[in-house]
Amino acid sequence: MNITSTDWQAAAVPLILALTAIAVLIADSLRPPKPSQDDDTPADAPGRRRAHLVATVLSAAGIVAALVGTVLLRDEQLVAFCREAVEGPPECSLVVEPLTIGLWAVIVAGGLGVVLLSAYGLLDGRVPPGEYHFLLLCALCGGTVLAGGRDLATMVIALELVSLPSFAMVALRRDRRGSEAAVKAFLVSVLSTAVMLFGISYLYGLTGSLHLSTVTARLAAIDADEQRVALAAGLFVLVGFGFKIAAVPFHAWLPDTYVGAPVEVTAFLAVVSKSAGVAGLVVVTTQGLSTQALDLRIAIAVVAAVTMTVGNLAALRQVEAVRLLAWSSIGQLGFLLAPLAANDVRAVVAYLAAYAVVTLGAFGVVAVVQRHRPGGLLSDYRGMVRTEPGVGAALVFFLVVLAGLPPGLVGLFTKFAAFQAVVDADLGWLAGVMAVNVMIGLAVYLRWVAELFRLPVDEPFSVDVETPAVAVIGTCAGAAVVLSVLPAAVFALAG
Amino acid sequence: MSALLLVLLGLPLAGAALLWLLPVVLGDRIAALVGTVVSGLVLVGSAVLGYRWLNPGSPAGTQQADSVPATDLPAYDGPGRAAAMLGDTNVPWLPALDVRFHVGVDAVSLPLIVLSALLVLLCCVYSLRITPQAGRMRSLVALLLIIETGVIGTFSALDLVLFFIFFEVVLIPMWLVIDIWGDHHDRAGRRLAANRFVLMTVLGSAVMLIGFLLVHAESGTFDLVALAANPVPGGTGVPLTAAILIAVGLAVKMPIWPLHIWLPDAHAKAPTVGSVLLAGLLLKLGSYGMVRILLPVLPDAMVEIAPYLAGFSVIAIVLGSLACLAQTDVKRLIAYSSVGHMGFIGLGIATMSAVGVTGALFANIAHGVITGLLFFLAGAIKDRHDTSDLRLIGRALYARLPRIGALLTFACLASLGLPGLAGFWGEMLALLGAYEPNEALPRATFLTLMVIAGVGTVLTAAYFLRLVRNLCQGDPAQYPSTTFAVDLSRIELVTWTPLIVLTVLLGLWPALLIDRWVLL
Repeated sequence: MNITSTDWQAAAVPLILALTAIAVLIADSLRPPKPSQDDDTPADAPGRRRAHLVATVLSAAGIVAALVGTVLLRDEQLVAFCREAVEGPPECSLVVEPLTIGLWAVIVAGGLGVVLLSAYGLLDGRVPPGEYHFLLLCALCGGTVLAGGRDLATMVIALELVSLPSFAMVALRRDRRGSEAAVKAFLVSVLSTAVMLFGISYLYGLTGSLHLSTVTARLAAIDADEQRVALAAGLFVLVGFGFKIAAVPFHAWLPDTYVGAPVEVTAFLAVVSKSAGVAGLVVVTTQGLSTQALDLRIAIAVVAAVTMTVGNLAALRQVEAVRLLAWSSIGQLGFLLAPLAANDVRAVVAYLAAYAVVTLGAFGVVAVVQRHRPGGLLSDYRGMVRTEPGVGAALVFFLVVLAGLPPGLVGLFTKFAAFQAVVDADLGWLAGVMAVNVMIGLAVYLRWVAELFRLPVDEPFSVDVETPAVAVIGTCAGAAVVLSVLPAAVFALAG
Repeated sequence: MSALLLVLLGLPLAGAALLWLLPVVLGDRIAALVGTVVSGLVLVGSAVLGYRWLNPGSPAGTQQADSVPATDLPAYDGPGRAAAMLGDTNVPWLPALDVRFHVGVDAVSLPLIVLSALLVLLCCVYSLRITPQAGRMRSLVALLLIIETGVIGTFSALDLVLFFIFFEVVLIPMWLVIDIWGDHHDRAGRRLAANRFVLMTVLGSAVMLIGFLLVHAESGTFDLVALAANPVPGGTGVPLTAAILIAVGLAVKMPIWPLHIWLPDAHAKAPTVGSVLLAGLLLKLGSYGMVRILLPVLPDAMVEIAPYLAGFSVIAIVLGSLACLAQTDVKRLIAYSSVGHMGFIGLGIATMSAVGVTGALFANIAHGVITGLLFFLAGAIKDRHDTSDLRLIGRALYARLPRIGALLTFACLASLGLPGLAGFWGEMLALLGAYEPNEALPRATFLTLMVIAGVGTVLTAAYFLRLVRNLCQGDPAQYPSTTFAVDLSRIELVTWTPLIVLTVLLGLWPALLIDRWVLL
């Protein structure tokens, strides 16, 4: 493959993230050798803290630079890694356009939030900070490439670049629960990659190309028998992504993995990893596989309906905070897929942005509470609105945004946009399912809100909340409030 | 002028924020005072708004925008559309989705806004002295103020999405009010009642939202003024679906049989102030939405669904009254009576005639005043006996609590529609409207329904008189009168007087309101 032209500006953001990842790894290896083999000895604490500080500052700086790069590129239309096509315009593997910028903004900003959250949570954890940040940055790099990628080979590699670090991060704590969670996620992911590659190989066989634009063009010209093969291939690709983003019925791994991982890693999985998977799915469906010859809309609509219903119903019965968030994130994913079935990219990106902000904030609060109450039950949150007014009110706001009711207007508007997309696409039955799920979703979140508002009992939760946590929660709450007043911002993300 | 309406919307929110910023102890002590001041200011503001409406010669009147000449109106249009909007504010909010922040008031919404301001003020005044057992007055008053913003916002929204948003604003505050301050004897029951209320309403409003989106898909706008000027034509297909969805959504809130099942528990378990606002204001959001949205925006489709709406309304009247006859709990009884009264309002709207809709609008106000008073009285009786069960309260209230007993009789008579009191005119006009419905509607059906509804009025009289007989009359010797020190406390007198005065005033001088609704 001869690459004929590359605009390195287009590759700047993933490159910054990749280089930062390497820098973090090198900086971590430069730290003085440990006095003992055991990471947990108190003697090592100052060194650990310094290493943690260095890694945090480095990766935060790198991610901020990537975010600045994203903002600077916002009105550009750039391509990279292009080559001449046999017919038509040149095929490019990395494209920067408004959709890419919107997805990058969500993924990179989510990554920054996770780094800040980790600065709080990992201070005394058993997680090696250098490796952790290296893996996080690798995954971010993969996520950005996935959002900008326009050929199937690049996208599969990018997806692996998101997934593989995720398992390592889940298992970094090196305890039994973490390992089990990681193995579960790993097996599912390997399977899903295999399924996806199978589908891609069919598509390649049908069209002789891996570039989405060429695949789309050639799919339009195939005959009826081949169309059936193409549909099967498209469904395989869809199933592959379905595993990654935990759409029902490929969701079984998610709750156990979320609970088994450290809270910060769970936040990473729920925000960055899920955004990256959705980004890939958005790119594949809207740029390549959504043609007349290969209409996956109905399949996506059915998956969306089943996903939101199963996720919300299962969330109704959870008594642990993280498990509730895990199941409800499946429910939220259904709402994300609904506008995708209607081909409304703007609504998808807006929903994703709102979801990312408040999910990060909610995990921030969970991190604070679980640090002092490792049980992680919903009843641990009883009376927090009174005993911890700031954090409690922020959590109430996050949950209300997730439910999509006032005062969480950003949640209401993004749900509204999803409804609008679905209704305008004549998917009335899906709109009906969504309406029922708004109700079930509200029931899910109200259970938690009710605990927060109850009068505190014998041992109310009241602690000095550390500064990094206040920063994360405050930033997320502030962003959610601003976006609630000026919702136009989230809808401007995807152009 | 437009600023005044925005202040009315923002002031309660600011009051709520202020309360939550106060420390808990201080906040709990002065909460009711702050609430009284804030809601008092809102009442003054809404009165000023009403005054300007009556005197359009004042400079503010020149700001009226987008009015539709009344001569263009077909006969079945609700009064809602004939009027020019006052206090018009119209700015884009979310251009990507075609959402605008468009508020304004007219003759239909103004009385409801004044009623909202009045009832919230009375609830705050009442809370100065009489508080639920759960305490936490700071949060309770703050939530009442948020509800006030939501209700006034719904009554003044001129954009469908904005209407939807304000419609939903009241949900979580009211859920909290029922869940936290509700019946302190029945923890699980009040949680169930609160959840049922919030979940049914949210499902209804989501369904309504789909209807709004269908309207937008047909017409390309969410703006109610534009939609009233250019209604969505057609009584089949998409407009009909939209009308059904919107009607179902509003019917949950109103509520119309068989979507009323959330109502009795919610009203019975809520604290006194919660019941007053639920019955007095929140139910009106549904009926107001029908007049404001269904009648002007989807007239052709409304013709198709009106007979069904009327039918369900009449079933509500009869079954609501029959259910009242079987109640043993005074708050549940009043709650079920609301189902019947809202049935009359639904019937009035469904006639699509000027008389019927005017009757519905009048009954809206009258029901808010009278049922507000009834729930205050029921709360007073419940507080004194620590139960609302009629069998435990016993009889002979005339002897034991003469003033409260007399007021209860007065409120019951008003509610059953005694001529000369406020409850009469609305229901009379609704029945009159059913006698001569809009020409497009089947008259025979409506005549039948009118007769059945007439039977309903008799049943209404029956259960209210039964209530008076079972509660107020009886041999005082069996029920010692020394149990209660206070008959009618000063704060109760102060709180209830405005409602009593309004009941009499509206009963004797209905033209005060009816003349403002242009079409009669």
